[in-house]
Amino acid sequence: MADVVANGVRFHVQQLTPPPGFAPDSPDSGEARPSVVFIHGLVMDNLSSFYYTLANPLAAAGADVLLYDLRGHGLSERPPLGYALEDSVEDLVGLLFELGIDGPVHIVGNSYGGTVGLAFAMAYPSRVASLVLVEGHFAVQGWGEEMARTLWGIAFGMELEEARTWVASAGRKMTRMAGKADALINGTSLVEDLLTAVPLPRQPLASLACPVLAMYGDESDVIDRARDLASLVPDFTLNILQGCGHSILMEVPAHLRAVLAWWFAGRVGPAPLYQPPVLDPPSASAAHPLAELVAG
Amino acid sequence: MDADTILADITQMLAQVIGEDYLLEVDVTMDTAFSGDLELESIEFVALAGLMKEHYGAAVDFVGFLADMDLHEIIALRVGQVVDHIWLCLEAVGSRG
Repeated sequence: MADVVANGVRFHVQQLTPPPGFAPDSPDSGEARPSVVFIHGLVMDNLSSFYYTLANPLAAAGADVLLYDLRGHGLSERPPLGYALEDSVEDLVGLLFELGIDGPVHIVGNSYGGTVGLAFAMAYPSRVASLVLVEGHFAVQGWGEEMARTLWGIAFGMELEEARTWVASAGRKMTRMAGKADALINGTSLVEDLLTAVPLPRQPLASLACPVLAMYGDESDVIDRARDLASLVPDFTLNILQGCGHSILMEVPAHLRAVLAWWFAGRVGPAPLYQPPVLDPPSASAAHPLAELVAG
Repeated sequence: MDADTILADITQMLAQVIGEDYLLEVDVTMDTAFSGDLELESIEFVALAGLMKEHYGAAVDFVGFLADMDLHEIIALRVGQVVDHIWLCLEAVGSRG
């Protein structure tokens, strides 16, 4: 099933199941497979970022996986209204209902998807088995304005003549991506809804029952959110990736897969640590392979 | 089912995902790259994989196929690699059945 109508909106969803050979799901015998929901980030993101990196390997390892495009993103419908965090939470509630998923789910959220996961876990604690934040935004005071400023920056950048010329010359793919981002930022209430966002209450986080795994780059602009959450959430595992920024899902998916495997295998032993690649120092006789990229 | 039939099936599904008009300008062969030649957006490739899953059913394991690739390998995928995978899966089912 690729399209599901939930909360009054048509969503593009993809469900992945383990390959033949895995035992069928049988909750009655206590052998239920983990059910994992992936939630992507805002505007330039959609479910494909998880599909290409973590979702298929997790399904291949025995999980039932649900991916969906947030409203206005990817191949989901883009209604003019309903982009507040509360709408995102109710969209997820509606999707799980329509798909008949009523047991606790593991949620993996990237950036804004992590915020949705946190808000969902606080509103419906019995529905969440665990929560994995990949560079998750934590809706603190000023979070909405910060996100809105970023989106305005994107919108402003796309208006520049140089950007328009470049997008037009970059072909079908880039033209379509830029067009969708423009329609989302300028044609919906997304920015307005972000500006009126209220912070997540801190007190309920201290009684969050589900285990939370958080992976952040130490050079990320939201690393402070991780430290903030670590001081509040009782069962909180922080995995910091040295030398990485906000885009760890795309930069180091292999490490994220290793940590997820450890997480779903019951957290036996210490969590895998990220080892930054060691680059050979440039020699006088041969330019480093990265030199061309840096110069370009 | 032979490789030519699978290639024709995939071409038809591609038309569903990116539109027949665009596809008229491109000759889809085994060597065509989804991203480089067809300029498929990543989300469109996901939609195509979903259509293939519906079309071929559980006989073809797309999860295992994609799980073994890294990001760059998926982005660089060519039509022929997918055709070969489908053909091998269907052959395996045929030889068992």
